Amino acid sequence: MKKEITEIKAVDGYFEICLKINGLTKNLKVKNNEFLLDALRRYGYKGAKKGCDTGDCGSCAVLFNGRPALSCLIPAFSAHGAEVTTIEGVGTVQAPHPIQEAFVQAGAVQCGYCIPGMIISAKHLLDANPAPSEGKIRKYLDGNLCRCTGYVKQVEAVKLAAKKMRPD
Amino acid sequence: MPELIIRPRTLKELWKILPTISAKRKYLAGGTDLVTAANAGFDACDAWVDISGLKELQSVKETKTSVLIGAGVRIAGLEAWGAVRRWLPVLTAAIPHFASPSLRNMATVGGNAANASPCADAVCALCAERAEVILELKGKKRRLPLSALFKGPKQTGIKKDELITAFEVPKWPHTGAYLKLGPRAYFGISKAAVALAIELDGDKIKSASVALASVAPVPLMAVKTAGCITGRILSPETARAAAALVKTEVSPITDARSDADYRREMCGVLLERALLGCEERLKAEG
Repeated sequence: MKKEITEIKAVDGYFEICLKINGLTKNLKVKNNEFLLDALRRYGYKGAKKGCDTGDCGSCAVLFNGRPALSCLIPAFSAHGAEVTTIEGVGTVQAPHPIQEAFVQAGAVQCGYCIPGMIISAKHLLDANPAPSEGKIRKYLDGNLCRCTGYVKQVEAVKLAAKKMRPD
Repeated sequence: MPELIIRPRTLKELWKILPTISAKRKYLAGGTDLVTAANAGFDACDAWVDISGLKELQSVKETKTSVLIGAGVRIAGLEAWGAVRRWLPVLTAAIPHFASPSLRNMATVGGNAANASPCADAVCALCAERAEVILELKGKKRRLPLSALFKGPKQTGIKKDELITAFEVPKWPHTGAYLKLGPRAYFGISKAAVALAIELDGDKIKSASVALASVAPVPLMAVKTAGCITGRILSPETARAAAALVKTEVSPITDARSDADYRREMCGVLLERALLGCEERLKAEG
């Protein structure tokens, strides 16, 4: 009975996987050849964006078992049993997360394509470190490329978010 | 992506399953190299053996004389281990230079070696730390110096189905540096990188190793340069001599990332800077 876990075989070109997305247990039928990013988007989680598809740009970043990872490089089957947080699980238009508010207030969003990934990286930083230095912020946002802003406003946004999230 | 995925949960299970499948297979660990290669149409195979679930490969152990790093430890996970921070200063210095934070959360140390790219940052640092690589095939282990694993760009001496399970780094009281020159400060593939490890006796270099990335077909050990600075006083003169000699040991090429001449010159500059940095630290410590 243990055997079926060790071998995942595509049946009619599909893998059946079970994972937690934004805190809810989901069963997904993912295609052979499909990556987590494509599977998430097909199931309606359109926050994660497809930029480069080669792991360079960071716009597909999601929290994978608590750490930012690039969903364009994660074969969908290997998300079986994982915990995934997408930008939809961080906040909504009605109830935005303080980081999302800060990005809007700081004017850090232009075209917006890289922002979900940026916020995922920022969240990972701020959850562990409530008062990061600018250098630390820049290092954490290192893997998120933005072609509009020049990064200054986004660094300001993370500083503002840190202030908002601190209890004092 | 192949249609058959094998996900063993233990090494024992892995060695039991492998003989039962005939498909041409590859090991999948962090996926950051294998997946991108597969997407680009290289390295086609019929099955992936997903070893990311093998807990045996995911920890760092400390013995009396060495630090054992499991091949499945992710790059971002290295810093969490006290033994790594305490005994592997060069590897610790290389971590921020390794790709991006999200890629570091995915990529494994073993994968960095198995991929056999001459620019691999973690491998270059581990070579300078004098790491040995431990390989396993059907329960049978063998080990060799990490730098001896590589035969050329993307080519290793790893046998069919053989798996890198760990790296053993001897504990030796050294300091060092990892300096990398890329297209920008962080998150780029190196034009050239230097990993320096030296053991000091007062201001004398008692023992040294120098490894370089992206300037030879393999991660390169600059044996002559290391030999030349061993026994000498850590000084600007020694740094200059090392810089001159290391340029004769490397064999860079001109490619999309940089020119051969520039790379060769930068090997000298980076090594000199690395040695001067160590000297400054020594002076500061008094």
